[in-house]
Amino acid sequence: MRNEKIGSGEPKLETGISFLLMVGVIISLILEIAGVILLYQSYRSLAISQNESAFIRGNDFFTFIFQQFQGKHSSGIGMELMTIGIIVLILTPYIRLITSVVYFGWEKNLKYVFITLFVLVVITLSLALH
Amino acid sequence: MLNIVSLSLISIVVGFLGSLTGLGGASILIPLLVLLGIPVKEAIACGMVAIIATSSGSAASYVKERITNVKVAMYLEMFTITGAIVGATITTIIHPIYLYFFFAAFLLTSFLKIKKPSDCDFQESIHQDRIARWLDLKGSYYDECTNKVVEYKADHAVLGGLGMLVAGLAAGMLGIGAGAFKVTVQENILKLPPKVSSTTSNFIIGMTALAGVSVYLFSGLLNLTLMAPMAIGTTIGAVAGGRILNKISDRALRILFFLIVIFLIGQMLYKGVTSI
Repeated sequence: MRNEKIGSGEPKLETGISFLLMVGVIISLILEIAGVILLYQSYRSLAISQNESAFIRGNDFFTFIFQQFQGKHSSGIGMELMTIGIIVLILTPYIRLITSVVYFGWEKNLKYVFITLFVLVVITLSLALH
Repeated sequence: MLNIVSLSLISIVVGFLGSLTGLGGASILIPLLVLLGIPVKEAIACGMVAIIATSSGSAASYVKERITNVKVAMYLEMFTITGAIVGATITTIIHPIYLYFFFAAFLLTSFLKIKKPSDCDFQESIHQDRIARWLDLKGSYYDECTNKVVEYKADHAVLGGLGMLVAGLAAGMLGIGAGAFKVTVQENILKLPPKVSSTTSNFIIGMTALAGVSVYLFSGLLNLTLMAPMAIGTTIGAVAGGRILNKISDRALRILFFLIVIFLIGQMLYKGVTSI
C-alpha cells in the first residue's frame, strides 16, 4: 500500500517539490502560449526570428529579471510574456533548490544542507556571472 | 517553412516519440532543427530550456508517487551540475563541426537501454559502502508489478557520482538530458531499482539543464521564438506519450527506438561530414 513511509523518508519535502514543479511548469507554459498569441496579434507573423529582439540578452540573470519587470528590454507585449515565461521556467528548479536548503536546515540535517547549498551556490554563481 | 506553429507541432510529435522511446525530446529535436537549418549551437541551447519544462512536468508526478529518491537526486546533482557547466562552456567556445560528431557518438549510449532488465526483476543489493550509508542513500517504493513495497540501498556513492559527472558533461555540451546514460550509472553502479533510477534521473535532468542554461543565458544563443514552441510542444507531447506508453507493445517500441536513433546518428554524421 502507498503510505507516508515509502520514498526517501522526506514526505513533506516530496509533496512540496511536486506541487512547486507542477505550478512552475503550468504558469510558464500559459505565459508562453499567451505570448505567442499576442506576438501574432501584433505582427501577423509567427516566423522563427533571427532579429536581436528575439534573443535573451543582458549581463546577469538577476539584473535581467529586475530590468525585465521595469520594461527595459521591452520588444512588445508578446515577446515580454514569452521572456517572463522562460524566467518562470528557469526559476522553477531554482526555487525547488532553495526550498530543499530551507527544509533540510529546518530538519537540522546538516549533511543535506551542505549538499543542497553547494548546488545552490554553484548555480547562483553561474547565473550571476554568465 | 519552419515557424512557431509548425515547430510547436513538430515538438509535440517529438515529445511524444521521446517519451515513448525513452530518448527524451531534445535528443530527437536538436538533429531535426539542424536538418531544418537552425544553427547547431542555437538548437542545443534552446533544447536545454525545453528540457527544464519536460523534466519538471514529468518529475512532479513521479515525486508525488514517492518513486523518485530526492536525497539520491540531490547528492548526484552536485556532480551533474558541475559537469553541465563545464560541458556548456566547451560548447560555447568550440567549432560547431565537433558538436555534430560528439552528438552522434553520444547517441550510441542510448543503446544501453536495450539491455535493461525487466522493471519487476530487481534484486536488492545487500552491500552498501560507508559513504552511501553516511549519506543515508536508501529508500523504498510501492511496486505495482509485484504489489509489494520494494526496499533498496545505494552502493558505490563516489563512483556513481563520477559517472554522473560524465553524464552532466555530455548533457551540458549537447543540450540533451542524457537519460539513458544516467539510468545506466544508477542501475549498474549505484545498484538502484530500474523504476527509481529512471524517475530519479528524470528529476536530476531538470537541475542539470538549469546549470547548462545558466551558461547559455547571455551567450546570444537563447532564441525566444525557438524556445517557446519547443517547451510548449515537447511538454504536451511527453505528457501524451506517458499516458499511452503501457498500451503499445514492447516490440513496436523497440523498432521505433532503433529507427529513430539510426536516423538521428545518420543525420548528425551527414551534417558533420558535409560541414568539413
